[in-house]
Amino acid sequence: MTRVLYVLTAAWHGISRNPFMTAASTLTVALMLLLFAFFVVTDRGLQSAVALLESKVELTVYLADDAKVSRVLELKSRIEKDPAVSRVDYVSKEDALERFKRLSAGRAEIGPIEDIGVNPLPASLEIKLAQAQDSRRIADELRDEVGNGVIAKTDDVIDNPQVVDQLLTITRVLSIGGLAILAMMLFVALFVIVNTIRIAVHARRDEIEIMQLVGATDGLVAAPFVLEGMLVGVFGAVISLLALLVASGPVTSTLIQFLDILPVTLGPNFFGQLAAGVLGFALLMGAGGATISIRTHLAK
Amino acid sequence: MITLEDVSKRYPNGTYALRDIDLHIGAGDFVFIVGSSGAGKSTLNRLLIREELPTTGRVAVDGQDVARLSRSKVPLLRRKVGIVFQDFKLLPTKTVHENVAFALIVTGHDGRTVREETDRALALVGLLPRRHHFPRELSGGEQQRTAIARALVMRPKILVADEPTGNLDPVTTWEIIKLLIRVNEIGTTVLVATHNAEIVNALRRRVVHLDHGRVIRDEREGLYAA
Repeated sequence: MTRVLYVLTAAWHGISRNPFMTAASTLTVALMLLLFAFFVVTDRGLQSAVALLESKVELTVYLADDAKVSRVLELKSRIEKDPAVSRVDYVSKEDALERFKRLSAGRAEIGPIEDIGVNPLPASLEIKLAQAQDSRRIADELRDEVGNGVIAKTDDVIDNPQVVDQLLTITRVLSIGGLAILAMMLFVALFVIVNTIRIAVHARRDEIEIMQLVGATDGLVAAPFVLEGMLVGVFGAVISLLALLVASGPVTSTLIQFLDILPVTLGPNFFGQLAAGVLGFALLMGAGGATISIRTHLAK
Repeated sequence: MITLEDVSKRYPNGTYALRDIDLHIGAGDFVFIVGSSGAGKSTLNRLLIREELPTTGRVAVDGQDVARLSRSKVPLLRRKVGIVFQDFKLLPTKTVHENVAFALIVTGHDGRTVREETDRALALVGLLPRRHHFPRELSGGEQQRTAIARALVMRPKILVADEPTGNLDPVTTWEIIKLLIRVNEIGTTVLVATHNAEIVNALRRRVVHLDHGRVIRDEREGLYAA
């Protein structure tokens, strides 16, 4: 009990004896956490946008007019078994013609298709992908089937390699860039906390020396400083979350307007998760930074 | 209580602070460690509380090989070995009572023990009436008595005093030495590192003489100089 009381009062003295330094590091941490939160929100929004775009990636296979129905069905079920494929739709020649008629309705320059007499459109399989990065592999596998009576020529397998590649590049840049920014922010915030606690340790070095001489454990010597670091983290988290709360209204509506074309959803518990994440991150940083400082001092 | 076997301490720059020391100090002994500055007195003290490790040889305190203690066991050793310094090392923002109680608080004693043991230690050094004063309001002798009370409050088996009277006038010096003798009489092993010839010669206790890191004399009822 006396130990708990000691840790609490010592941590409080550490903060109150050096209010300027505490305020400066708290604000720096708050700023870092705000950036962190902003990054998480943006990343989450863009990820969901990319996922949406990815789900639109599809392959089309035009089928030979003389393909046997049994062979077509066999091919369809084989494609469906691929884990990267979410859905395969069969579009018959008649369906294709219907679709074309609907598209061309009211467009005089195309003219009535009935004039041709025969249905020139091929039947097709439309393949929706769960994993866009597998598009090229599946297309290649289908091209290997050319000449087996279902697919007539390689050009009948239609994929969009550029679109897929671009999407994948965006996703990769986002996650690597995000990680780099996060690591940099972590480093800066940690640096600030380490130095704040180092100053606190230096200010109380006589007390630490006496504690060690009379036989206090390293854990008890370190505890007030770790608590102080965590408090700086928590204060920073509270400030950044308050700022986020004030800004979230206008920012969200701007973001929704900006991303109007894409139905970006952040999930119902997103802000609760974000607050928990920011707080956890802050506590970890505070405790970690303080531990680094006091351990370095004790190891001397 | 304290055994040093063939102990040497060499610093990285190659100089020896202690060389081939064999020393045994029994429980309840009162020993003066004498020698000029740099003879190795303080290094010897630091070995006893494992603030430093011997380069070679074995240091045992209360039956334990100090070098073999894990880092987590060092605090337990230090609770057995009280230490006071020439510069007192009191915390200026704490009162006499708080300075002494601090040792018990940071070693995890409960509130009642802290109060009772602090009062006992302050009574022993005669500072109960000054308990609410701050160190800057005390004389040098009173400050050293506070430091001794802080060491005694842990009920150590050994009290190490490193030049305890170095900053004090002759009258106060005697006050402190008498206090250390009283501490010894209640059963604590006492080591006093000093270069105050007058007190050593007057008391005729055991004297261990260090010179350039070696024990050059160890006498039962010794004088400061041979």
